[in-house]
Amino acid sequence: MENALELLALSPPGWGGNLLRGLWSTFQIALGAYILGLALGLFGAFGKIYGGPVLRGVLTTYTTVIRAVPELVLILLLYYLGTDLLNMALTSMGFERTDISGLWAGIYVIGFVQGAYSTEVLRGAFQAVPFGQIEAARAIGMSAFKSHWRIILPAMIPFALPGLANLWLIATKETALLAVVGFSELALETKQAAGITKAYFMFYVAAAALYLMLSLVSTGVFSLVERRFRRGQPTQS
Amino acid sequence: MTDKTTQNNTAATLEVEDLHKSFGDLEVLKGVSMTAREGDVVSIVGSSGSGKSTFLRCINLLELPTSGVIRLSGEEVKFKGTGLNRVPSDKKQVARLRSQLGMVFQSFNLWQHMNVLQNVMEGQVQVLGVPKAEARERAEAILERVGLYDKRDQYPAFLSGGQQQRAAIARAVAMEPKVMLFDEPTSALDPELVGEVLKVIRGLAEEGRTMILVTHEMRFARDVSSEVVYLHEGRVEERGAPEDIFTNPSSERFASFIQTTY
Repeated sequence: MENALELLALSPPGWGGNLLRGLWSTFQIALGAYILGLALGLFGAFGKIYGGPVLRGVLTTYTTVIRAVPELVLILLLYYLGTDLLNMALTSMGFERTDISGLWAGIYVIGFVQGAYSTEVLRGAFQAVPFGQIEAARAIGMSAFKSHWRIILPAMIPFALPGLANLWLIATKETALLAVVGFSELALETKQAAGITKAYFMFYVAAAALYLMLSLVSTGVFSLVERRFRRGQPTQS
Repeated sequence: MTDKTTQNNTAATLEVEDLHKSFGDLEVLKGVSMTAREGDVVSIVGSSGSGKSTFLRCINLLELPTSGVIRLSGEEVKFKGTGLNRVPSDKKQVARLRSQLGMVFQSFNLWQHMNVLQNVMEGQVQVLGVPKAEARERAEAILERVGLYDKRDQYPAFLSGGQQQRAAIARAVAMEPKVMLFDEPTSALDPELVGEVLKVIRGLAEEGRTMILVTHEMRFARDVSSEVVYLHEGRVEERGAPEDIFTNPSSERFASFIQTTY
């Protein structure tokens, strides 16, 4: 047991610091990807609702393909494809090849995947808003923009939150897949620590505990947010 | 109500001429006209399917008429295209005219994520650009009048139907509209709550507000209206001052309609 605590110490020779740095990277990627996913999802949802046939076709292809292909394959594909395309663009414009930082590549790759799911969550939430709410906004003379910003979006949030909370938890765990492209987030840091010390069980349990902590805190935050946005609705108890 | 007759020479506040509305192949309105001068209360009655709600919803363009003219204070709604492809050509005009037509819905349609006070302030602040402090003052005064001042911090879902409808009326009144449109304002209410809402509407009528009222409450329509319009299958079957047509209907259909509903 003493041995175990030494291995988890925050400063070397303990590996605790590496694990926490990994957790921090995991959190940063998950948050960045989640925000990017929400932006794509908002665009995707309204594009599917209001867009013309071309835009709707593009968006349907996006959500269908992304949701059909395993995330691991998508991450490998988007990561190598993305860096290749970027470098091709850079060299053709006369710039040097560059290594994209693992952090931004991770955000872009997972965010792109999240966007497909967010699109569907937000589209569903839009359709759940009673039409009368929208008619009342029109009837009082609001512009299309104002009625969306002031009425429809706030009315969508309670319907979207359960799905969006799920997506956040998925984002935190999807970051572990970035280990395959060599980005040192929590999963890869854990693997290295375990491999070197041979204390597999302890390090993986420690990593699992950190993931669990992250998701427990997140769930708490989301339930506060949900309570705030549901304050206009009677609770069913 | 006393000066209804003396105002007959003022310019029309709302004019609707030969309004037609089709949903696909089904023609719901087959040429309905109506004029409301300032202070008029026009009740539109008829059995379900007569097109009375559709007519009201055409006035503020929640439904788009397939042909016909709508004028508010002499300003005509601009359209482009014809028939089912006919749409308003000036979105800003539509928004402005709507802000001058206070709509009260059958199912209240209060914004659920705002409390009563915010509901009544929202249009003033966001559409009319009234400063918040002033909008709040006006909203509180109107809520006081409809008897909801104590409920101003409540969310709509926690109110009774009658309270919600009174809040919705307050929301429409806060815009100081030229004309108020009521779409069966008491049809979704429990019978014991109808009275409190009718009382508020009667108060507004007595203030001299111009109103168009679609309703099933025949006794009430007879009491408050300057004109009653009876629609049947998308056409005006009978119209006139209530004291005339209720006592001496010229259409047999209207006579039997009031016999069964009044």
